[in-house]
Amino acid sequence: MTATGEVLLKVDNLSVEFDTPHGPVRAVDGVSWQVRAGEMLAILGESGSGKSVSTQALTGILEMPPGRIVSGTAEYRGADLIQMTTRERRRIVGDRITMVFQDSLSALNPVQSVGTQIAECYRVHRGMSKRDAMKKAAEMLDQVRIPAAAKRVGDYPHEFSGGMRQRVMLAMALALDPDVLIADEPTTALDVTVQAQILELIADLQAERDMGVVLITHDLGVVSDVADNVVVMYAGHVVERAATAEALENPVHPYTEGLLGSMPSADLKGRELPTIPGTPPSLRAIPSGCAFRTRCPIAVDDCAAEVPPLLTIAPGREAACIRRTSLAAKEAV
Amino acid sequence: MIRFILRRALAAVPIGVLVTLGVFALVFAMPGDPLRELAGDKPIPAAVLAAKRAQYHLDDPFIVQYLLSMKDILTGHFGTTFAGADIADQLRLRIPVTLKLTLLANAVQWTLGLFFGIYAGFKRNGWVDRSLLLATLVLLAVPGLVAYFAAQYLFGVELKWFPVSGVLEGFPRSYLLPALVIGVLGFAGLARLLRTSIVETVNADFVKTARAKGLGEQRVLWRHILPNALLPVVTFIGLDLAGMFGGAIITESIFNLPGLGQFMFQAIKLKEGGVVVLLSTLAFISFILINLLIDLLYGVLDPRVRNV
Repeated sequence: MTATGEVLLKVDNLSVEFDTPHGPVRAVDGVSWQVRAGEMLAILGESGSGKSVSTQALTGILEMPPGRIVSGTAEYRGADLIQMTTRERRRIVGDRITMVFQDSLSALNPVQSVGTQIAECYRVHRGMSKRDAMKKAAEMLDQVRIPAAAKRVGDYPHEFSGGMRQRVMLAMALALDPDVLIADEPTTALDVTVQAQILELIADLQAERDMGVVLITHDLGVVSDVADNVVVMYAGHVVERAATAEALENPVHPYTEGLLGSMPSADLKGRELPTIPGTPPSLRAIPSGCAFRTRCPIAVDDCAAEVPPLLTIAPGREAACIRRTSLAAKEAV
Repeated sequence: MIRFILRRALAAVPIGVLVTLGVFALVFAMPGDPLRELAGDKPIPAAVLAAKRAQYHLDDPFIVQYLLSMKDILTGHFGTTFAGADIADQLRLRIPVTLKLTLLANAVQWTLGLFFGIYAGFKRNGWVDRSLLLATLVLLAVPGLVAYFAAQYLFGVELKWFPVSGVLEGFPRSYLLPALVIGVLGFAGLARLLRTSIVETVNADFVKTARAKGLGEQRVLWRHILPNALLPVVTFIGLDLAGMFGGAIITESIFNLPGLGQFMFQAIKLKEGGVVVLLSTLAFISFILINLLIDLLYGVLDPRVRNV
């Protein structure tokens, strides 16, 4: 399904570097994506592929220094978040664009009750009184289906289970009815059954609100369940972009193919699970040309020559692989 | 809450017995005869000596002496010192002196420690932070004794800003110099601990969450970072308060402040087991109370340890 809603957040050519004692390291290199109202976009990649750094950079929560935005824009309804002053950005981030993080135990303030933490959104962004804000917080807990929500507003994060805590995070992120929700590995710390519940909850709440969701994950299963479109990242680059169904059935980039091949499935029963050989490159020593070529089964000498550009194969379908895009181009002829 | 306090109080009883017994045994084991030391070079008639020894139960076995002392303490019959002063009167006069010194010193220490700790933690690697790290390192390395005498000489004898010793000029003037020296020497540890704690908390995930909520920098600092960063500091303050009495023995003797510390010092010199045990018991009780208060405060600040 391709969403046709208004483009809410449009990231263009974003590059982020970190200053390290060994010189600058580029964690995100020329990344572009966009999310529309009602769309769920998955950013898929291994740890270190730059998927979290890109969203943290555009929302201004990345520690800078050592982080540094080298180039690029991130437009929310046409206004560039990166060029904005901190004060202007704070009116959007936390209000119109909100975030959910991976580890809900450490991502919630341990010495404040969950109600206070949710209410803080209303107090700061809407200037509500303490009483009203707490009432709204209880309503939000109810909306994310926490049982006996009214009784639990005064409870502290450690008094909730992992799944319930992630619901609290969601309640906090959705408190102000945002346009875009950035969920950074929201289900990684949870067990599988709870994962499914949280994903379903995000999908339901999204449908109610018509918001855009950016789902950052390393889990293809998560992507296939809920995402409309997927952006695959490798070593700071976008290597493939497609509608989820297309990417899953007909991957173009060998990395996406490798990821799909290493998914456990019924067909593979009794056989060893295939893996992508090698490990992701250190950001300090990214191979020349295509960063994936050292692990790629179909790499040729030309792959080392230059960074493969992201080429359009079909409408809404892009990949950065000189082997495959030229093949596809030939097939198209 | 009430149960928590009662449990703590009950647990304190056996510890109290051990502490007082140990202290009494140490005084008992000290060489020398207390009454002969009191008399100095003058000869004492044997009959007087025997009467005095009987009055203070000095010829009884150790455990009997201990039990008699404890009985006196528990029933409030503190008796007199070897020199004949009423101990209850002494306590009435001396407790306020020690309290004034301790509170003033702590006020200096906490004010400096919290202020510089917070400032340096929030403005990491600024010039205040860097000079604080250096200055605290120096302060932590200075032995208290050296600083007390140096301050007494410099600010008391030479510059005449403060009285050299004694309490003739009353509160707060007579207490200012010792309190300032204790406070300045003591704030270094507090400031460094708070700074480190803040620096660690700044990188916590919930601080990222707070920023992602679009909160202003001040709100993030005061509402999210500081309440979490203060937790280890509270423990430190508790331990530090409890150690104050030990410090008072030295400072009160050097600055000639007639408080409990000086009383303790004299009692130890004269081998007055009863007084030493009484003062140790007082110190012990205040230690237990301070610890209890700190635990309760900790529970208020950190919901995770409530009712533990």
